[in-house]
Amino acid sequence: MEELTIINIFRDFTIAFLVGFCWAILFGSPKRLLWVAGLLGGMGHALRFILIQLDFGMITATLAGSVLIGLIGIFAAHRVDSPPVVFTMPACITMIPGMFAYKTMLAGIKVTDLPTVEQNPHILIEMSHNLMLTMSLLFTLAIGICIGALLFRKSSVKNISFKDVIGKG
Amino acid sequence: MPEFRNINEKEKISAQRFADLILDIGTFLLASGAHCGRLSSNIGRLATTWEFDINMSPTFNGLTVTVKDKNDPSNSVTCYKNSPPHSVHLAILTAVSHMSWKVQEENLPISYVEKEFAKIKAKPNYKDIVVAVAVGFSCGGLCLFSAGDEKNALIAFVAAFIGYLVRVFFARKKFNPMICISIAAFITTLIAGLGRLYGFGEHPEAAMATGVLYLIPGVPLINCVIDLIEGYLPSALNRALFGGFILLCIAAGMTLCITLLGIGNF
Repeated sequence: MEELTIINIFRDFTIAFLVGFCWAILFGSPKRLLWVAGLLGGMGHALRFILIQLDFGMITATLAGSVLIGLIGIFAAHRVDSPPVVFTMPACITMIPGMFAYKTMLAGIKVTDLPTVEQNPHILIEMSHNLMLTMSLLFTLAIGICIGALLFRKSSVKNISFKDVIGKG
Repeated sequence: MPEFRNINEKEKISAQRFADLILDIGTFLLASGAHCGRLSSNIGRLATTWEFDINMSPTFNGLTVTVKDKNDPSNSVTCYKNSPPHSVHLAILTAVSHMSWKVQEENLPISYVEKEFAKIKAKPNYKDIVVAVAVGFSCGGLCLFSAGDEKNALIAFVAAFIGYLVRVFFARKKFNPMICISIAAFITTLIAGLGRLYGFGEHPEAAMATGVLYLIPGVPLINCVIDLIEGYLPSALNRALFGGFILLCIAAGMTLCITLLGIGNF
């Protein structure tokens, strides 16, 4: 746990901006959309950071972050005239559960050695915990990305207007 | 034979020509990382513009379509096409989406799309060295998120940078893509693991965990869930299998390296 200060939030935002921006290059997004991916990633991750510090739990916080990215992505898509996936996908990747996947794998390697497991059965619990956490987090990221299709019953975000969001659609 | 005559001031498009075009567009979209819903909405726009009825069954490595002319039911054909090798390039999605909207709004002829799509296909991706630097920065950033300090981030940067270049090198030599991923994971873990052995930085395991993240098949895994939600089951299964196997390859490369360095050290 870190202290919840403006500086910490800003640091989080900056790093997430960098990660989102660079990941957009890896995924081959168009040049003019790179900064959108960075901004969305920064916002989503900053929200996740704040919620984690407020003790909302990792999965809830990640879900909130990715849903924020998905919703803002819909409106950004109107503004920059492009399908939202192009920048929401790199933005959501900033929250990828790399550390848990790594721990799962490390525990998995240790399980292959019988004496080690017999000595310390806690490894099994650790492995399944990290595995479930990794899978849940990946799933929440995907939900955030397709939130538009899920909530608004429209096949293209071009048809989603602000009215739909406030409930008059 | 394609036959041209005016029906209501519209050129008649032979079903075969239309099917060839959308198979080309569809498989290319699939290979660039589009989910199936996007495929059907983009192609659906073209079909409504030129008054075709269209049914399709996308899978991960191919596309089957049946097209039928709404004004002439005998003008109908069913075709299948394999998709080109998968490499994520999201700019293609933007370009094709633009094109399909433009066609629908301005009622453009099929020859325009054929020409425009040839241009889209030739679109260059970013240069390898640019991507390698970007990959380094993003893995370094993720390392900072996983409680690593600046030194760990530096290790993650170097490991990801070199790992990506190694992967590109082996991909150029036409090695099996899965082998390329395993080798890249091995090299990345080796560099990060050396940092661990010599105690460089405070949390060296953060660098080891995040260094390989550039190999994660994010696009197939996320598309898999989107396809599941939208009901494209065969393609969702294929994507999950593909993504899962890439994860396994990464784990295999890392496992080999960690075992060589000694599991007791981690």
